[in-house]
Amino acid sequence: MLAERKGGRPLRGRSRILAAVLSTVLSISMLYGCGSGKDGGSASSNTGEKVFNYGTTAYGVAMENVGLDPHDTYSGWSTLRYGVGETLFKFNEKMELEPWLATDYEQVDEYTLKIHLRDDVNFTSGNKMTGEAVKACLEDLITRHDRAPEDLKIESITAEGQSVIIKSKEKVPALIHYLCDPYGAIIDMEAGVSEDKNVSGTGPYIAENVTDTEINLVANKNYWGGTPKVDRVNVKSITDGDTLTMAMQNGEIDAAQGLPYVSLKLFQNNESFSISSCDTSRVYQAAINFKTPVLQDEKVREAIAMGIDKEGFTTVLLDGNGTAATGPFPANFTFGKDAVSAPAYDPQGARELLSQAGWKDTDGDGYVDKDGKPLEIRWLTYTSRQELPLLAESVQATLKAIGIKVIVNATDNYNEYLKKGEFDIYAKAIVTAPTGDPQYYFTTHLLDSSSYNSGNYHSDKVEELTEQLRNEYDMEKRSQLAIQIEQQILDDHAFIYASHLKMSFVMKKGIGGFEAHPSDYYEITADLDIIQ
Amino acid sequence: MRKTNIRLRFIIFLGLVLVLAGVAAFAPALVPFDPYEQNLQEALRAPGGTHLLGTDRYGRDMLSRVIVGGRTTIFSTLALVGVSVIIGMVIGILCGYYGGKMDSIVMRISDVCLAFPGMVFAIAAASVLGGGIISAVSALAFISWPKYARLARGEVLSIKNRTFMEAARLGGCGTWKLITGHILPNISGTILVTATLDIGTMMMELAGLSFLGLGAMPPAAEWGSMMSDGRSMLQTSPWVILAPGTAIFITVACFNLLGDTIRDLLDPKRQDVKA
Amino acid sequence: MRRYVGKRLLQLIPILIGITLLSFGLMHLASMDAVDVRYEKQGTVVSEEVKAQIREELNLDKPFLVQYGLWLKGVVTGDMGVSYISGKPVFETFITKLPATIALTLTSILLTIVVSIPLGILAAVKQNRPLDYLIRFGSFIGNSLPNFFVSLLLIYFLALKLGVFPVISGGGWNSIVLPTLTLSIAMSAKYIRQVRATVLEELSKDYVTGARSRGVRERVILYKNVLRSSLFTIVTLLALSIGSLLGGTAIVESIFMWDGVGKMAVDAITMRDYPIIQTYVIWMAVIYVLVNLITDIVYCFLDPRIRLEQGEGI
Repeated sequence: MLAERKGGRPLRGRSRILAAVLSTVLSISMLYGCGSGKDGGSASSNTGEKVFNYGTTAYGVAMENVGLDPHDTYSGWSTLRYGVGETLFKFNEKMELEPWLATDYEQVDEYTLKIHLRDDVNFTSGNKMTGEAVKACLEDLITRHDRAPEDLKIESITAEGQSVIIKSKEKVPALIHYLCDPYGAIIDMEAGVSEDKNVSGTGPYIAENVTDTEINLVANKNYWGGTPKVDRVNVKSITDGDTLTMAMQNGEIDAAQGLPYVSLKLFQNNESFSISSCDTSRVYQAAINFKTPVLQDEKVREAIAMGIDKEGFTTVLLDGNGTAATGPFPANFTFGKDAVSAPAYDPQGARELLSQAGWKDTDGDGYVDKDGKPLEIRWLTYTSRQELPLLAESVQATLKAIGIKVIVNATDNYNEYLKKGEFDIYAKAIVTAPTGDPQYYFTTHLLDSSSYNSGNYHSDKVEELTEQLRNEYDMEKRSQLAIQIEQQILDDHAFIYASHLKMSFVMKKGIGGFEAHPSDYYEITADLDIIQ
Repeated sequence: MRKTNIRLRFIIFLGLVLVLAGVAAFAPALVPFDPYEQNLQEALRAPGGTHLLGTDRYGRDMLSRVIVGGRTTIFSTLALVGVSVIIGMVIGILCGYYGGKMDSIVMRISDVCLAFPGMVFAIAAASVLGGGIISAVSALAFISWPKYARLARGEVLSIKNRTFMEAARLGGCGTWKLITGHILPNISGTILVTATLDIGTMMMELAGLSFLGLGAMPPAAEWGSMMSDGRSMLQTSPWVILAPGTAIFITVACFNLLGDTIRDLLDPKRQDVKA
Repeated sequence: MRRYVGKRLLQLIPILIGITLLSFGLMHLASMDAVDVRYEKQGTVVSEEVKAQIREELNLDKPFLVQYGLWLKGVVTGDMGVSYISGKPVFETFITKLPATIALTLTSILLTIVVSIPLGILAAVKQNRPLDYLIRFGSFIGNSLPNFFVSLLLIYFLALKLGVFPVISGGGWNSIVLPTLTLSIAMSAKYIRQVRATVLEELSKDYVTGARSRGVRERVILYKNVLRSSLFTIVTLLALSIGSLLGGTAIVESIFMWDGVGKMAVDAITMRDYPIIQTYVIWMAVIYVLVNLITDIVYCFLDPRIRLEQGEGI
């Protein structure tokens, strides 16, 4: 490809090269000089406007939530998080339903739900939020969205003034919960979705500019819930954790979400910063493969459950940025952590259980064996969630202490292994209650018909209780059923729940009204303020 | 005088490289602690005391991990360079020697490989081979061999019609004999120098893939992935990243110095230069 | 000349077909497709029916060659397709990311030239003297630090400790400085060594000895003859670097939030967004062929005795 070179001939002078180089440098720097102007600074600008710069790892192409169109895969998360759109109902800190754009609802019969809307809400387009508008929005949702039609199972929607009546094809007791999913953000369909995926919502902020890496918001002066206190919000996607850390330290952003765990130390006990954190329903769980003969022995499963040091994992490896889990749901749920019980970390007890089951270290290699075979567990997991490899390594070490050899297979090709059944325990991260309701997790993970029951767990009792749950509309009773199901899977030692993800916002001192929420849905609200 | 000087340098640097390789080869016997043994109570201890280079966040001894990591890093880099050089050289020599249609087809293929983004290949390789250092190595080998193929081909073309080749041919040398007895010895010097000097770059490429999550898999100790894992701790526990970083620096420097010296050794004329 | 360029550009076609088919095939070897990745990432689950339906919409259910054929047909008719993820036309997406990558390529190449050529010559002239050792030691450091680590150090010292540059690019002129430095450090380290080696080689040639014996001043020899002849090596190196820089530098781009094609490619690859990956791969092939062509033409200008046709073949 490259031509042959053939000796040399004198050049006319170095000054020419130098001049050429210099002029290019100059023109480049001028090019950039002109391009500047947007202020990369922070808090309040010289005009007296309050500006909030927010860096987050959670927005971007790789998170599938680019743009603000709630009817497009996961973009609704951005609509809701950045205060552009709102849903009919919302969750409080205990993940209980509260009215938001709706005032209340009636369960007319098992297939019919009537939702009453607020009368004082306008879209940022200027149009009023009416029953018709909500109907149009929901109809667009079930035609265009991937997951919504399956969740909601809507037969028909009718509008009656400031209320909508939803008829379902099947019994959907958790319909209201589903409507709180970010895809349920209500937008003005008359204004539609712009080329750059901007929408007209009802929230405290209006997006002026939406790109793959940044959203620029201005306050919605006519917001129904009072005037927002901050004039401008710039949401910046900063995907590298260390860049985010240093941008926060340097004061280039006012708040950050998604900092690496080890970096949080830099902001704790530091008077220039404050942190708001809370547990989410994202759980790190390990599913036992019931097809593996040795794991069909309940004692072995229990020993494994007792041999995993959840506290050590969360306090040391996650630097306290996680909470040791008991069941699939965190403590802030009524049917959460405190309502159920699982074996505690007890290496001594685990060893005893193993020896009761006939597993003893006869050859002195540090691992227990039976009939000449050592106890080996193939631990399948993946790496795209930073906590999973940490968990795998932690488990490997603590189970070694009770004589079980863990062979970690951390691969993003885990689907192949799941299909072939080449694993004994599969650890993954999952949001167990994205809509605050337990049924979703049970039906997707625990039943014979569940597509994510990778370990082939089966329990008649769980099948039966879940069936009851499908037909139960009373919230109190649903919670009770959920607790029974959770306890059953824990008693069967079918799943081990290692920890719940703790989400943290780091912000400069003086930022108010910016709190982490267990649902992970609400970030920028009308309460956000910069007090100096 | 100068000549002995180069010889001496060659011996010193070769010695250093051999020491590194030796440490890597006998790593399991040399480590003071089990590099995979976790002890969460001892997590992130600063260097000094029982742990000379401190501990990482699992409480594992950094010194032991750096030593064992050297095994993975040095050997996988050597394997990468070795595979690329061998494949490249074989193909390059054959193309240069035979020429013709075969030659132009292979060169088009090498164009495709050269222009191909290594990342795409790395992910596909991770998927098929199940991830880890092996898929990273094969991905990089895939885009690296053409460089050596071209080098070898060029060298073959330049000596193909020299008198000594003619003489050998007339002397009844077969193709195989010609290639192994005359071509190989004449071109291997250049390729050896290039390969030695490339070791540093290749080590960096592997580290880069580790950063993107396509390199060595945990808990395997590998310098690049140790650096990438510990990068967030630059401010809080810098030894976690500095220990493997220094190891990479020393290794790259040794291989580069050796490469320079081999080049000087093979090309004595250059040493006549007066500064 | 025109015929030659035309001929060289024709070579682009087999490369393009080869490279796109290869990338298509490789991505299909991966066990997860765009649909799997989408739901896995979020930790939420959907039924197989929903997945099947999306696959059908995206033609992902079709056999591999049919998919490739459909894609190729689109490209020939000027339609590069839309991103599986964002739903936007990929060509448009690509074009908006390109200026950032080109700007970064230009600045880092310039800085590299400005730093490495003088230092390389200096090291060669002062061979085996302290200055030579110092420069080479520096280049070893630059050569042995992974990009991501250099970025971190630069941000830490220049942005955080000294506060001279911003951590994230806020659009100001100074936001290009740190990524440029990062890229230039590694490249300069490599170039210094190469320039030094080339200059040393030239200095040992007969014509230099001849010139010396004729009493030509060392400085004149260096600048008039040696540097001139070393230009070939430098141009070759530059060509290679420009080629790879134009492909975007995923790591540096994502650390400095520099919105270029490298980061776009990594995102697309992890999300299995085939249309974007294909566009990226085409871009890589085009720059590869063009850069090589331009290099050969530059050779020709540097030394008119080189006839372009010679370069063909390899």
